[in-house]
Parts: sequence; structure tokens; C-alpha cells
Amino acid sequence: MNSAQLSNPVDNRTQILLRLLAIWQGLVAAGAAAGILLALVNPGMAVWTKVLFALILALAAVGSAFSVWLILRRDHRGRVLSLVVNYLAFLVCLLYGMQVLGIFLGIDALAGTFGRGLPFLLGLLVGYLVGAFGDRYDNYPQKQRFYRNAGKIIMVVFGAAALVAMGIFQGLYTLVTRFDNPLPFVLLLGAVLFGVMIWAMWRGPTAEVMGAKSTHAEMLNGLLFLSPNLLGFLFFFAGPLLLSLYTSFTNWDAFGTREWIGLDNYAKIFTLDVKPLDYPEQPWPEVLDATRFDELTRVNIFGKAYVLGAADKLFWLALRNTFVFSILAVPLSVIPALFLANLLNSKLPGMKFFRAVYFLPSIAAVVGVALIWQWLYNAAVGYINYAITSVVNFLNMFPGLTLVDPQVRWLSDTHTALLAVVIMAAWQWIGFNTVLFLAGLQNIPGELYEAATVDGAGKWAKFWNVTLPLLAPTTFFVITTAVINALQLFEQVYVLIPTEPPGGPNNATLSLVLYLYQKGFQRFEQGYASAVAWVLFIVIFAVTLIQYSRQRAGTKAYGG
Amino acid sequence: MYRKTIWTILSMLLIVAFALTACTPTVAPTDEPIVATEPPMAAEDITIRWRTRPDNQAEIDVYQSASSTIDAKLDGITLVYEPGGSESSSYQDVLKTEIAAGTAPDVFWIPGTDVADFATRGLILNIYDMGKATAGFNVNDFYPGPMYHMTYNPANATSGAESGALWGLPRDVSTFVLYLNLDLIAEAGADDPRELAAAGNWTWESFLEVSQAVTALGSDIYGYGANAWWGPYGVWLNSAGGGFFNETRTACALDTPESLAGLEFQRSLYVEHKVAVPYGEDSEPPFMAGRVAMFQNGRWATPGVRANANFEWDVVELPQGPKGQGNWLFWGAYVINAKTEHPEEAWQLVQMLTDAEIQGTISALGTNIPSRVSQQALDAFLTFTPPANNQAFLNGIADANYPTAEGPVWAGSWPSFDAVMGPAITAVLTGATTVNDFAATICAEANKTFTQP
Repeated sequence: MNSAQLSNPVDNRTQILLRLLAIWQGLVAAGAAAGILLALVNPGMAVWTKVLFALILALAAVGSAFSVWLILRRDHRGRVLSLVVNYLAFLVCLLYGMQVLGIFLGIDALAGTFGRGLPFLLGLLVGYLVGAFGDRYDNYPQKQRFYRNAGKIIMVVFGAAALVAMGIFQGLYTLVTRFDNPLPFVLLLGAVLFGVMIWAMWRGPTAEVMGAKSTHAEMLNGLLFLSPNLLGFLFFFAGPLLLSLYTSFTNWDAFGTREWIGLDNYAKIFTLDVKPLDYPEQPWPEVLDATRFDELTRVNIFGKAYVLGAADKLFWLALRNTFVFSILAVPLSVIPALFLANLLNSKLPGMKFFRAVYFLPSIAAVVGVALIWQWLYNAAVGYINYAITSVVNFLNMFPGLTLVDPQVRWLSDTHTALLAVVIMAAWQWIGFNTVLFLAGLQNIPGELYEAATVDGAGKWAKFWNVTLPLLAPTTFFVITTAVINALQLFEQVYVLIPTEPPGGPNNATLSLVLYLYQKGFQRFEQGYASAVAWVLFIVIFAVTLIQYSRQRAGTKAYGG
Repeated sequence: MYRKTIWTILSMLLIVAFALTACTPTVAPTDEPIVATEPPMAAEDITIRWRTRPDNQAEIDVYQSASSTIDAKLDGITLVYEPGGSESSSYQDVLKTEIAAGTAPDVFWIPGTDVADFATRGLILNIYDMGKATAGFNVNDFYPGPMYHMTYNPANATSGAESGALWGLPRDVSTFVLYLNLDLIAEAGADDPRELAAAGNWTWESFLEVSQAVTALGSDIYGYGANAWWGPYGVWLNSAGGGFFNETRTACALDTPESLAGLEFQRSLYVEHKVAVPYGEDSEPPFMAGRVAMFQNGRWATPGVRANANFEWDVVELPQGPKGQGNWLFWGAYVINAKTEHPEEAWQLVQMLTDAEIQGTISALGTNIPSRVSQQALDAFLTFTPPANNQAFLNGIADANYPTAEGPVWAGSWPSFDAVMGPAITAVLTGATTVNDFAATICAEANKTFTQP
């Protein structure tokens, strides 16, 4: 900053704006501090919301106060701080204002009325085409202008008609009626003031006076573009994640207050008891504390029978089912996908068609797929049993053969129900895994295969020594995502198995996610469900960590 | 630069315009123009949102029509009907989430088994005082089974008109019947269950005989089919004189001799005689495919059978066991959101939704049996044919048949109890365990779901 710049009248305005900004940030800091006090003395707020509000406001207060000092020193960091604080406050005012005015809920209404505007939106397309038609007349500017203007007029007219059809006047009327208390006005004013302050700090001369460089501008632009995703992540993922962690230490039922119960939920999950039995068939209530435990399983060790009891039997059954499902479904969806990808990687005619066909199940809705499989699996009229019966009948026509039709009860037999879910899930996941492998295969240089051919390698040797090692990163990704998907089994069981409560028969298909859903949404135990969710998270994290370390070891083995 | 500014302004205008259109009052998606059904509200107008769980589009249309009829009678109140539930969303899950978020409708329907959970958590209004203050209102106008639970006061453990509690009014009731494939029964040469019932000979034994005769037609033909949930298996326990709970509904009664006798007979259908579609399999597809002679289901299955059955069909009441049919009185209720800003208007709506005229209109379309003891509404119900033998549904309600009203567990958790009972009974009916083994442990496990000793 030099004296010539300061003497410029534009810069004088900038100086005034900067003083105003410093005062504004001071006011924001004071307001945030007052907000902390109000939050802390508000008896209507839960403790966790008080803490959360106080933390957010404290950050805003400290950030604003610090930015005052930096703005007065003309330090560019003050500009960044001011912009960040004002931007976040602007968003809060705007979004909360929209919430207060019922705009988010009104999206439902827009969805209901949007169809009425669709014919007019076609008019917009016509207008665009008319305007674009003018591009044919590069040598006739007058004609070109005529078409372009005509196109714009058509677009404006039909756009306005679409908005009217969608109910803009009703919306406007309703919006006005909702300004029946000071809150929307305060929020609107806040949004405008914060917006003006953002503009005042963002403008070029202010940036120049604050010593901002092009790199700072790039950083701010980057943050701005990142902000929707980042804020969405914080509010819709990280926030609920932390909230669920807190909830797991409470007995919250989703409606009342959260009472802190420490590790009780986790203790109940993991409490087990082992007792010897007088005889193998002895009923468990005779040996276990029946007010706390249920029988989980029985074991025989060196001729002595024991019963293992669990305070939450269903958790352990769900964990077992989830692991069994993963152990079966992951190989069944990965290994065939690997071979299928090799097959589809050939340059035979029609391969693109087959790639699309195999990918189709993975983009189909799980509910629809599960309902179709439910029909296929039906023991009485399902096509699978019909096919088995037909084959058995055909074979029995041969002399000497007397095969028995197994009449498999796919969904109602405890021995086959989970297998039925595995088959359906693997069938659905194979297509996606195939595409991933296909992408990996196409990244393998052809020269390597040529070199292997020169070395006399056959098809199998090439696959084993060239394809598989070079596909290792893809394989790692496929297996990791497949394992995570498998451990989160839910929809397939919920829709496919026709028992009530879901997870039957006899809990044979109860998965961990289904169990926590039942606990949280059907049995009003959100606290306990959150604890189960965190146990599942730790399981998934541990399994992924093991896979990751194995992958690193494998990469090193190949000299990576 | 100029064009960029223009485009920026236009884009902003478009966003604002869409935001403005999103300010229109929330209504259920409908093909009708919004303006026609929901005119802009006058400043003093009150909007009441209400919701049911219809089973099909026909029911949605009926309730929408009922809403319009009531709306026309209410001055200063605009009704907005929201059909709840869909193929991809659970009615109860959506409702509970909306209650937690404070966006649930003013009046909504819940199943009878959920009443205790909603009432004890303060999610629905106790409208006892408003009911008392309403001229002409009498809780005894409705079937006593559902009203026992709707007037149950957990504070003093009493029920009835003077209990101090009224949680809502029942929307409708329903019972189980057996949907009959008459072609299959005739082909098997078995007796017509309707005639046996008319002659008073429709018992467990004759039911088994018909089932066995039909099953003998082929390995993929079944005499009986029912789906895997507490309703179908519960009737056999009730019919034998047993049940899920003790008299006060404070403890498990699944291990009583009567309950076990009902379970034993039912197990014999699946495991020994093998006359039933394997337990756990969806019985509706084989019934629709003409492979099942007697399919146990409620009134809600009638529209599907009417639309899809390609054979002669009718219904018959459940067979008589040692203690009658043991039928359920299924029901659900209209309740008022505890956070409604308009409780008086919501109460007015609940009364009008359950008056004889509206119930008669809905019953005439055959979807359910009126919850109000009203001959007018029952007559309307009987006019909806097929099935010709609609009386079978009403016979299930008769006192002589000891119907058991489905209900909540005030001293525990019904979903938790169901989560223990369902798998254990599945194990019995699939032959994985015996009735004796079931009896040895079931109540030790199930009693943990009660809060009282």
C-alpha cells in the first residue's frame, strides 16, 4: 500500500468500508458472545445443544474479534477470516430464514405442481431453438439478431407462464402471510447485512488494500466451491455421526430427553455368561440368570455340555449372520466378476451389449430385484423349484434313476434362507464388480502380454502371472467395497424374506443393520441402536484395516 | 461482461422464483389442479393435515373423497389429506421421523398395537376432556375391544368411559376369514366349508379333513396357507383358549396348556400332516395360482383376490376350536398429534372421520368393517360383493366367538415381545423345535420385555 493509492478517492471509500467492516466484525463478536450467554442460561435447551451452540458461537466470536485486529493491521488473514465468518453467518440466516418461511417443506408442493409447468418449459426449449436458428445467419446480422431476440422473448414468455402455472403467485401470497412475526424479518435483514459485508470485503480495491495476492484469491475461490460439499459433509454426515456417538451413551428413545447412561449400552451388547449343564438338553433358564440372559448356543467340551448365554442374544446372532453372509457373498460376487471381466475384455462382436446386460442388475432398485427373487424362490410356485422339479422328473425317466425332488424351502428354511440372500446379492453385485475389473484390465499394457507370449506363456500363465498381479489395486478396491457392502446388509433381507418381524426364519437372516434399524425405529431404542451402529463401524474399520495392511504387504512382495 | 451480469441476474431470479413456488401450501400430490382443491387460505382459515395408511389407490380415492366431504362441512377449516406409506417407505417409520422432527400431521392413523408406545411417550393427545365436553359423544358407540385400549389410562391402570384417558377413535375393524378356492375343493371332493359352517360342523377336525383331501390332489397342492406373522398363528392359540398374554397383559402366557394345545394343532398342519404351505413362505402367490384351497387373511386382501383370482372363490369363517374361532379384532385408530396447534379442530375431524355416515361410505367400498357399532354401516359393508359370504367377516366379531382385540402392551414393549415370540414360533412350525422345548423357555425369554415383574 502506498500513499498514492491512499490519496485516490476510490481508496478513501475503501478505507471507510474497512473501518465499517472492523466495527461490524466487532459487533458480530459481541453478538456471538451474548448468544453464548443466552444459550447457557436458556433452561429450555438440552445440555448437548447448549454445548454445541456455545462452541459454534465461541468460534464465531473469536474469529470475528481476531479479524478486527487483523483488519486494522491490514493483514490479509483478517480478510479471509471476515469472509469466512460472514459467509457462514449469511448461510445460516438465509437457510434458517427459508426454514422459518417453510420453503424447504414447500419443496413437496413444488414437486406436486411442477408437472403443470412442464408444457411451458417445452416452450423454453422452442425459444432456445429459435435463438439457435439465428446462428445460421452469420452473414446477415439483422436476421440473426431478429431470431435471437425472438428466441429470448419466447423463452421469457414461456418461462413466466411456467412459473405462473407452478404457482408463483400462490407462493408469493403464502410467503407474505408467513411474515407474521419479527423472526423472518430479522433473518432476512441479517442475510442482507452479511451479504453486503461479504461484498465490501470481496471487492477488488478492498482486497488490494488488505494485501491479498492472487494465491489468496485462488484459495478463497477454492474454498467457496468446496463449501457446499464441505458444509454438507459437516452437517449431514460428520454432525450426525458425532451425535450418534453421543446418543450411544444415552437411553434416548428418539422423542424424549437423552439420559446419560455411560457404557451401559455397550456393556449389554458384550455381556456373556457360560454355565455348565447337568445334561445336554437341560433348559437354559435352570442354569442361567433368566432375568438377564438368553441362550446363545451350546457347546460340548471334552464330554461336558455348556450353555453360552448373552444379555443381547440377537446382537450376536446378527453378527454371526452378517459374517457368514460376507464370507459367502464377497467371493461369490468377486471371483465370477473377475472371470466375466476377462471374458468381456475380448474384442468379440457384441461385447458392449453383454457388458451392459451384466451391469443392469447393479443399477436396478434393490426392492424390485428382491420382490422378483421372492417370486423365484417361492417354494410352492417359484420358478427355481419348478426348474429343479423338471430336471428331477426328466432324470427319473432314465431307467434305474429314482431321484427325490428336494422341494427346497428357500426362504422358510433356516438352513437355506441366508444362502438365498447370498445368491441374490451376489447376482446383483457381480455386474458392478465386473465393470471395475474391466477398467483395471484395460489399464494393463498389451506389451506385457506380448512379452509373455514370446516367453512361451499360455493363457493360464498369462492370467496368473500378468493379469492378477497387475489387477491387485483394482482387486483390493473391489474386495474392500464388497466387504463393506456385505457388512451393511439390510434391504435384501428386509424385502426378500416374507416373515414378520423381518430377519426370519428364526432369526436366520437377521443382519446387524437390520437389527439396529429394528431397535432404533421399531422398538424406540435409539441409544442402543447407536451403540450397535458404532460396534458395526469398528468391525468394518478393523476388517478394512486388515485388508489394507494385507494389500500393502502384497504390493511390497511384487516390488511396489 | 454485460451479458454475464444479465445471465447472473436471470439465474438468481429463476432460483428465487422456484423458492417462491415452493412456498405454496404443502398438499398431497394429486392429478387435480391444486387451485381447484386447495384455494388460497383466508387469513383466519386453519389448515388441518391428516393421514391414513391406505392399501391401494381405490382406498386413497375413498379417503380423499371423504376428506372433501368433511371439508365442505367445516367452516374455517381446510383439510389436507395425505395418504401415507408406499412400496419403498414404511408408514410408521416416516410418521415417527416426522413426529421427531415436529412435522407430523395434526391427525394420523396408527395400528392398535402402537397406541401404548405413542401414548406413554406423549406423542399423542389424551382427548378425554374434549370427549367429555362433547355433546352426544359416547365411547360405547364403538366396539368394546378396541375401546378398552383407547381408554386405557396407564396412570391408574383402568379402562372405560371414566378412566380419564381417551387416545383417539378406532377407524375400522377387521377379522380373519379363510379365502376359499371352491374349484380346488370341489375337485378334491371335499365338503364345502361354507356348508359345514352353516351346519355348525366347521371345526378343527373338519378343517383338517378338507385340507387333507385337497392336499392329496398333488405334491404342489396345499389345503391351507397363511403368512408368517403373529396374526395367523395367534388365532390357533386363541381358539384353543390360550393367548399371548395373561389376563392383565403383564406377562407371557405362551406356555399355558391352552396356548400349547393351539400351537400343537397348528404344528401338526405343517409338520405332521403337511397340508399347509411351508411356514415362512408367502402363501398369497400359490393361492392366486390356484394351488391353495384355504388362505387365511383379513378384509384387506379382498381387493387383491377380486382382481387376480381366476377361479371360483368365496370366504368362510375360521373353524371352531375348543374356545370358538379365536379370531382377532384388528383395528387402527385416528389419534391427534400432541404438538398440534389446533386440538379442538383436530378432535372435530376425528369425530367426523368416524361417524356412521363416513364409515358407511367407506364400508360400502368393501375395504373394512366399521368400528362404530352401527347397523347402517354394517348393512353397507354387506352390500359389497364378491365375496358372497361377507357375513363370515362379521361372524368373527360376534361375542360368541370370543374375538380378541389386537392391542398394545402397556406394561412392556409389543415389538420386543413380537421379536422374541415370532422366531420361537417359527422354529416350532418349521419343525426345528418341539412344542415341549418351546414351552420350557419361551416365557423366561419373553417376560424380559415387560417392565413390570
